[in-house]
Amino acid sequence: MDTTENIPVRDMGAEFAAPAEAALLLDVRNLKVHLRTSDAVVRAVDGVDFQVAPGECVGIVGESGSGKSTLARAVSRLMAQVQFAELSGTADFNGADTLTMSTQALRNLRRKSGFSMIFQDPLGYLNPTMRVGRQIREALSPGHYAMPELERIHALLREVGLRDVEHVARRFPHELSGGMRQRIMIAMALASEPLLLFADEPTTALDATVQLQVLETLHRLHLERRMAMVIITHDLGVVAALCDRVYVMRGGKVVESANTIELFDAPRHPYSARLIELTRRSRPATQGTP
Amino acid sequence: MTSKSNHLPAATTMHTTMLQWLGISIRGVMRTRHGAIGLVLLVLLALVAMAAPSIATFGPFEQTASSLAPPGAEHYFGTDNVGRDIFSMVIYGTRASLAIGFGAAFAALIIGGTIGILAGYFGGWVESVLMRVTELFQTLPVILFVLLAVALFGSSFWLLIAAVTLAIWPVEARLIYGQYLKLRNREFVAAARVIDLSTTHIVLREILPNAIQPVIVQVALDASVAILIEAGLGFLGLSDPNMVSWGQLLFTAQDYMSQAWWMSVFPGAAICLAIIAFNLFADGLNEASDSRRKGTQVGLER
Amino acid sequence: MLRFTLLRILHAVPLLIAVILVIFLMQQMIPGDPVQAMVGDFPVPQAFRDAIELRYRLNDPLYVRIWSYFANLAQGDFGFSYHSQRPVLELILERAPRTILLASAGFAVAIPLGMVIGVLTGTTRRAGVDQAWTTTTLVLYAVPTFWLGQLMVLLFAVKLNWFPTQGMGPLLSQAKGLDWMLERLYYMALPVGAFAVHEAMRVARIMRASVIDTLGQGYVVTARAKGLRRNTIIWRHILRNSSLPLVTIAGYAFGAALGGAVLLETVFTWPGLGLLMIEAIRTSDNMTVMGVVIFSALAVIIMNFVVDVLYALIDPRIRHGR
Repeated sequence: MDTTENIPVRDMGAEFAAPAEAALLLDVRNLKVHLRTSDAVVRAVDGVDFQVAPGECVGIVGESGSGKSTLARAVSRLMAQVQFAELSGTADFNGADTLTMSTQALRNLRRKSGFSMIFQDPLGYLNPTMRVGRQIREALSPGHYAMPELERIHALLREVGLRDVEHVARRFPHELSGGMRQRIMIAMALASEPLLLFADEPTTALDATVQLQVLETLHRLHLERRMAMVIITHDLGVVAALCDRVYVMRGGKVVESANTIELFDAPRHPYSARLIELTRRSRPATQGTP
Repeated sequence: MTSKSNHLPAATTMHTTMLQWLGISIRGVMRTRHGAIGLVLLVLLALVAMAAPSIATFGPFEQTASSLAPPGAEHYFGTDNVGRDIFSMVIYGTRASLAIGFGAAFAALIIGGTIGILAGYFGGWVESVLMRVTELFQTLPVILFVLLAVALFGSSFWLLIAAVTLAIWPVEARLIYGQYLKLRNREFVAAARVIDLSTTHIVLREILPNAIQPVIVQVALDASVAILIEAGLGFLGLSDPNMVSWGQLLFTAQDYMSQAWWMSVFPGAAICLAIIAFNLFADGLNEASDSRRKGTQVGLER
Repeated sequence: MLRFTLLRILHAVPLLIAVILVIFLMQQMIPGDPVQAMVGDFPVPQAFRDAIELRYRLNDPLYVRIWSYFANLAQGDFGFSYHSQRPVLELILERAPRTILLASAGFAVAIPLGMVIGVLTGTTRRAGVDQAWTTTTLVLYAVPTFWLGQLMVLLFAVKLNWFPTQGMGPLLSQAKGLDWMLERLYYMALPVGAFAVHEAMRVARIMRASVIDTLGQGYVVTARAKGLRRNTIIWRHILRNSSLPLVTIAGYAFGAALGGAVLLETVFTWPGLGLLMIEAIRTSDNMTVMGVVIFSALAVIIMNFVVDVLYALIDPRIRHGR
């Protein structure tokens, strides 16, 4: 009856209100990210607790300015050129605090078996003067592998659903479509065999039809690789399609966290309810009865 | 809407807002390190130029008995081959340099500005032709054209200004063309036809200064380039022989390098100072209006 | 790519024609006797006068003269220098390589130096370092090249005697091969140094601004997310993408260098195109002056064309017509 019908809803086996403590992949406690601007202090993230179990898919939902992107970027230490008024709390990834670890340790995680990130704007986030195959090659996890690098790259491209991979690998980003670019980004992110993938608004910049395809790809990869994912989005439809659990953020704080079905059925916080309603309204039924 | 009390006579409103804006800009510039130094130097140079006869110890072309004298108590910067006091000549040279600097910069503003506005206003083939011509003058080694012009037509003061303007007007034209287009496309122009006049003035107070600021910066930069070109012309012996020119002093110095280093060092330092002053001022003005997010960390993280 | 090249050529031709036309018209505006204006400080007996008037069709209508001027140029006749008693083109071709040598050596030093300074100051985390260098580049850039040349002569040649004060080589040099090269370098050191300082600062300022721009781009974040080392990010990703504005101003810088050559060659008495121009001006040898200007314009136009092609090679987006 509701218009979220077109998106495949996640099928939950177990009940995940919060994952078991013992096996947490990412455990963020009381994270505060306060930024200093020229005239004020912006509390982008203001005391957030947030957990991801191995192989789990978690959504972070909120409007722009809610702090959801900042949360992911702060945890993966990808914030650019800002001055921190405060950066406190812990973000344990497999036991090690990403916020305080050495740059070398962080690099090791980024290069192999750690976490990766894909971004909203694949055109801006891919180097325009470098062929995409080479950009993927840079991301390949180091070590001895049975396959030569080129084959690994082609395998990754096939894995994200691209065809004619030899040809694609030699292209420059501007020669590819938006959907293809996003898949390239995903391939790049997978190259380091991450345990956790952050996806910051992965489909927002794409056309509606392409959005569905990319979501399906992400879902498939999540299952095939048993890779944990953190999906950051303002679009609850995306959350419904991919995520086991959801955190709703507003003004730098988490206002509700629940597993997806529960959230949609019975949101506890009025803000969550509002978000759900807005999503339903903005997604017209494309087929079937309204 | 607007009450009758807001209807000040248009001229007064513009007058006061311009002064206010000037005050704000100067304060902004003084806050930046570069801008403050630049502005102070410029004021200093202007004062020296105006008070030249009082500061200089000798007349500008006055030849004394002691030729090729090193710097000393009587001749602070030494003398040249015919006994002229270098210090006095440098002081008097300030006049020519600043005059040509400002003169050429403003001439470039007027000529370049006119062309830029015409191109923007008429559009179509007028725009194409004018912009192509501008491009032509910009890409070619205009210094050579300046030399050609001076060689063919001589080098009196006004011809010099004309020649130097020839070299620098394209940049101004491009800039004003761009600014004009930016202004034209703003909605307020259409809105102004609907809203009454006094609101337009308020809007002009916000938008126009922002559009003018890069032009002022460019004028300052143009002045520094003009001074450099004029110095170059003087160095080649092509400037007005009736004026004292720093470049001309370097020209005379060329033959006496091994004997009188002071003939080269002091006039050259003066040229440097003037150019640096204008560049620092322009830099400061840029920085002041850039309002760069103070909270940003520079550079690339590890 | 080929189509792009052809289009650029088509673009350059009318430009050249316009330049030549302007120069020709400027010549027509010279006050005084047209024959004397062509010949300069050279006495013109009546017999020669008639011959010259005939050769250059001075009594024909304007359009005929324009046409013959262009025709002559196309055949390589840039006029005749009565002062040197040689065809202008010959003079130019003899002197031009020396100027090119100076400018090329200067750029070869200045561009890498400037790029490195620009990248390092743009990416440094220490604001103090950045400030110090920004002021330094500004000040050094403001120093007039010809005065810097004089200062270098005063210090390194006159005072320290490490380098010669002027010229391209000793009067009766017999050096060959490697010795010849070393001798050239010895004489080139100071003028190239003076030239390079100014150009390096120009490059550094542009590079720094470009690098700062690039730092705000998304792909830098991606590079960090991939776990690339800071140096790798700087020298592989940022350097290349920040270099594009340099190529844009390369054409302009080349033209400026030609102009600067005039001054620099005067300081060092380097017998190149610039010095030729000055000598011609001094002797009112207007044919040579015009010839040099036209030649320079041609060189700059060709250079700009090369730069455009280079630009397309570096940035694949331009190649594909975006």
